[in-house]
Amino acid sequence: MKLFTRYNRVNITATIITFLVGSIGFYFVMDYVLTRQLDRGLRVEQQEIIDFVKEHNQLPEVQTTRHQWIDIVPAADPIPHPKPNTTEAFNKIENEREPIRQLVFTVNAGGKSYQVSVNQSKTETEDLLQLIILVTVLMIALILLSNYLINRKLVTRLWAPFYRTIDSIRDLQLSVKKPLQLPAESIEEINLLNASVNKMTARIHQDYQALRTFTENASHEMQTPLAVIRSKIESLLQDTEGKEKTIQQLLTIEDATLKLSRLHQSLLLLTKLENRQFQLSEAVNLTEIIESKLAERSELIAARKLVLSVTMKEVVLSFHRHLAEIMVNNLLNNMIRYTPVHGTVSITLTNEVLSIKNYAANGALNTDKIFQRFYKEEQSAESTGLGLAIIKEICVLAGFTITYQYAFHEHDFTIHFKPSNAQTI
Amino acid sequence: MKILIIEDELTLNQTMLDFLSGAGYLCESVFSYKDALEKIEYHTYDCIVLDIMLPGGSGLDILRFLKQDKKTDGVIIISAKGALEDKIEGLQLGADDYLIKPFHLSELSVRIAAIIRRKNFNGQSVITAGDIQVDTMGKTVLVNNQQVDLTQKEFQLLLFLIVNRNRILSKNAIAQHLWGDDMDFPDNYDFIYSHIKNLRKKIVAAGSPDCIKSMYGEGYKLQLP
Repeated sequence: MKLFTRYNRVNITATIITFLVGSIGFYFVMDYVLTRQLDRGLRVEQQEIIDFVKEHNQLPEVQTTRHQWIDIVPAADPIPHPKPNTTEAFNKIENEREPIRQLVFTVNAGGKSYQVSVNQSKTETEDLLQLIILVTVLMIALILLSNYLINRKLVTRLWAPFYRTIDSIRDLQLSVKKPLQLPAESIEEINLLNASVNKMTARIHQDYQALRTFTENASHEMQTPLAVIRSKIESLLQDTEGKEKTIQQLLTIEDATLKLSRLHQSLLLLTKLENRQFQLSEAVNLTEIIESKLAERSELIAARKLVLSVTMKEVVLSFHRHLAEIMVNNLLNNMIRYTPVHGTVSITLTNEVLSIKNYAANGALNTDKIFQRFYKEEQSAESTGLGLAIIKEICVLAGFTITYQYAFHEHDFTIHFKPSNAQTI
Repeated sequence: MKILIIEDELTLNQTMLDFLSGAGYLCESVFSYKDALEKIEYHTYDCIVLDIMLPGGSGLDILRFLKQDKKTDGVIIISAKGALEDKIEGLQLGADDYLIKPFHLSELSVRIAAIIRRKNFNGQSVITAGDIQVDTMGKTVLVNNQQVDLTQKEFQLLLFLIVNRNRILSKNAIAQHLWGDDMDFPDNYDFIYSHIKNLRKKIVAAGSPDCIKSMYGEGYKLQLP
């Protein structure tokens, strides 16, 4: 729920309750005031009649109007303290029963006791009250409506800088070298938010750059000694004429340095992937990449006598060229390494999936563990145990999913692209 | 052929110096940014081997300086920074090649040779080694003045062996030169042997003595008297 919606809900509820309670109170106050006015009229009438009787010792002529009429009947007992009360009576002029305010009292005229009831119609009062209620309800409706409209307009405008800030934060890319620079706004809260976000991203950027520089320098510091070892091995190799054992030992060291260097590069790549140091906005033709990587390996595939079947559509993804190459490289390296000689291999590429299947000699792999770092099904000198972990991280970054299945003596690695990401030329 | 080595790591600098001198180049070497600037200001080199991270400055700035002065020295960057952006930046600034540490010295040698050939290719595109003549421009090979047809990989292999003549090249180095860094070779490079075998067969068939020596199957060497 939006903040505004919630605020509006509370606001409107409070407004309605206030108006309802207010109108009910208003109704009673008005009713009380109007009734008192009627009562005053009744008292005046009573006084006039009593005065008349006192002066003339006879009953006055009664005048009946639309709103007031007087009934006089002979009475037995005098009423000690006459009080006005509300009741209903038949209005002869209007010819209907209507609510009235009535004051009943007794007078003595010509030695006789009479009960006089002065009646005033309350319809006018009721009408007035109804009108008041109607006006009140209309007022409520009007206020609610204007409130709603003004709020909507105003709030949308008031919140606009907030949404601008949110958009900038959402689009923030750490790999872009500039920290976020949100503008100063006229509203204090938004200004505070922007300033804090600016400060925060500046700090994050600093840390991020420091981390990046660190990993790069660490890489440099590691690779240089490796380069020294490697060049020294090459120099030593030249003096080994006739010493088979020495050559073998030197080459073992060389293999180890090669592996160390690869391992280090892989770990560096994983760190970069986790830091999201890549922008995936390049149009990458995956078909071309797979074709060229397969061509590079044609001798290797021929040497292992693999039976290869390739079914590919032209697929262009919004991706990162270098990452796409690494992904394809790792997949193909695994495919060639783990397929036995004369094994079958099939590669399928469509707009939705890239699937690589290869014949498996030793049954299914451990599905839970194959994507973990340094997990190896068998100890292999060549494998770093990071290939699939890297593929997995690239997939996570690009929003792809990778699945592994084993069926009919075949390993099946399938990468599902985002449906919206694939397009055909 | 004059070469300047700019590399701050002492041992690596010395090893490259020895190696390239042994390959017949006239080499000088410096260890810092300042010394490097001094050298390139007063001398001209056929090829400069340039490290990027140097005490006192960046190798990329040296490259900028060279290009500003319109110097024609060939430049090969050697860097531990494998990051793609660095590679692109280096090449955009006008470097001729980019080699990521750690590299094989034989690989460095063949790349330097290629740069020098490109820089002064007037009549220099033919390399002779014994009976073998390789035209790097026309991609043709003559053995005993007889044209020999080689596949692309065999041609690359022969050129690699010739540039690094009389040196033992490990199968590792050969594989990386021919197929690049990002492939792995599950069969312990056995299939390289078939390429060597074919190349050897073609050369011998043209009437030249077998000059490719196998070092116990671990490495190979083009032996010339």
